[in-house]
This record gives sequence, C-alpha cells and structure tokens, in this order.
Amino acid sequence: MVELDHTFSTGKPTDYNWDAILDLDRIIPCVEGGKVIERESPSLAKAEIKVKMGAMSMTFRGTVEVVERDDDAHRAVLQVKSKDVGGQGYANADVAFTLSDGGGDIHTAAQINGKAASMGEGVVSSVLDALINDFTTKLAKI
Amino acid sequence: MGLDSGTHTLGPGDGTLTVLTGKGGAAAKAGHNLVIEVTRWSAKVEVEEGISMALMADPRSLRVVDGSGGISPLGDEEKQGIKQTIDEEVLKGLPIRFRSSSVHAAGSRLDVQGELELMKVRHPIEFALNVGDDGRLTGSAMVKQTDWKMKPFSALFGTLKVADVVEVTIDALIPAVAPVGERHG
Repeated sequence: MVELDHTFSTGKPTDYNWDAILDLDRIIPCVEGGKVIERESPSLAKAEIKVKMGAMSMTFRGTVEVVERDDDAHRAVLQVKSKDVGGQGYANADVAFTLSDGGGDIHTAAQINGKAASMGEGVVSSVLDALINDFTTKLAKI
Repeated sequence: MGLDSGTHTLGPGDGTLTVLTGKGGAAAKAGHNLVIEVTRWSAKVEVEEGISMALMADPRSLRVVDGSGGISPLGDEEKQGIKQTIDEEVLKGLPIRFRSSSVHAAGSRLDVQGELELMKVRHPIEFALNVGDDGRLTGSAMVKQTDWKMKPFSALFGTLKVADVVEVTIDALIPAVAPVGERHG
C-alpha cells in the first residue's frame, strides 16, 4: 500500500470545487492519460488510464466511483478499481478529497500489483507522487 | 597506423556508427538502455601533412537495435515507437555534423578536437580514436546533450529520463585510398 498526501489550489470557492471533483466527466481527464469510457451513474464511471513510459505504455481499465461524500464537511472519497489491460496486474486506489476555500487536500491510498509493481514500492511511490502532482496542477484549472 | 595519404571516405558499408543511451530518474528501472544504430552517415578522413576529419549523419536514420533493462522486453513496435519519438521530439530531422579542428596522432591513437552541430547548436567536442594496422577505426565520443541545449527526453511525469550523456561509437574499416587510375574509372 502506498499512501500519499497532496494539496491543491484552484483559487475558486469551495462550492465550485465541490461540484468539480464530484463530476467524474471533468475530474477523470485531469489525470494524465485518463478518460471516461462510460458514465454509468452520477457517481460511477467506467474509465481507463494510459500511462506512457517512453515507448512503452500500460493501460489500466476499470471504474471510478464516489463511495463517500459528506456535503457539509466537503469530504469525498473516490474509489478507483482497475486492471492492467493485457496483463495480470491491477491498480486500485482510494482518493480522499477534503476541500477548503480555494483548494483542498488529497489523501491517496493505492495498491498496485503486477508488472508496474515489479519496479518496487519506492519507484511506484515516486511515479504516483509525480502523477498526482500533475493532477493537482490540472485541478487548479478545472 | 594504417592510414595512407589521401582522402578516405567511409559510410555504413564500412562499419557501424552507434549511439548508446542510459537512463536515470526515480523510475529508471522502468526504462531501457538503448543501442541505436545510425543507418545513414558519411565520414571523410583526409591525410596529408596533417589529418582532418568530417562526419555527417542523417538524423532520421536512427534505428533501435537493442534495449536492456526495463520491466518488459522491447518489441518491434516499441523500437519503432522510440524511432518516431527521436524523429519527432528529439532530433527533429535537424542536421548532425562534425568537423575536426585538430587531430593529433600518436602511434595508433588519434586525439581529435572539433565542433559538433546538433539541433542547430555548435559546441566543441573532443575524443580519442584508434586506427589499427589493418585500417580499423574504433573509438567513442561522449555527448552531453545539455551542452547542445537539448533537454534529455523524459517520461512518466519526469521520473524516467534518458541520461544526459550519450555515447557515440564508431567501428569501421577505413577503405584504402583508390589509386589515381581507379578514381577516374
């Protein structure tokens, strides 16, 4: 299990940010290589992420679901469950957002298995950290 | 040293010009060390009172022949993908030229100084070559990409990078200078 904490800043009111992070059609493409395949309900989407490693790439396909939401505290948890397309691995994560005015905090707890995990937990943690940092810069413009 | 007076012209038919790349960054394990062959190039070695050298390489002629490391082997599709990345994002088809400013011969060793043009930037470079009695030319030059204002290629949000210094090696048999009668057919 890899756990990481990040903050993000949008400069926008909490209500605006709250709507944005709960809108899966808007938030999933903020992950580099991520896209919605099918929106199944307001809180559930089939999605995939293609992670490019130079010439190589890995595609994870699965679901993103809002599994917890507290409208008063502006706290929500998005659960990612995905499998490595063409491989045996998987990448699952619980991503908890806690919003404050102008931005918020993100706590990510990820479990990654298979080929990607063969790089070692330290490498996975570094890549995930860089991915989420990139995500937060895109969130700032959401 | 097996170098006759005159002008020797070399190309891919006489040997290989190869680029060796390494990798760095937190996710270096995910990347490959690459062996890349330059498939179209020409060099000229002029031996008169002194020696001078020049080389031109076609930036669109690089071909990945091998890759080691990484979390899975490089297949033909990936090799082709790297070639495309080199063409479109790294060398962008811009001329690659080298011309010597001085060549010092000591036994079979040649100490070469000159200027290499890469990505429209000219920068000094020096390296050593060896010429065997049989005319076999071998040696390598270390090219630090940032000296030519190049940004080494990176992926995975910057956690996987091509090492700044790449090694360029040559292994070729210098053709004999054609006798005057043959030069004109």
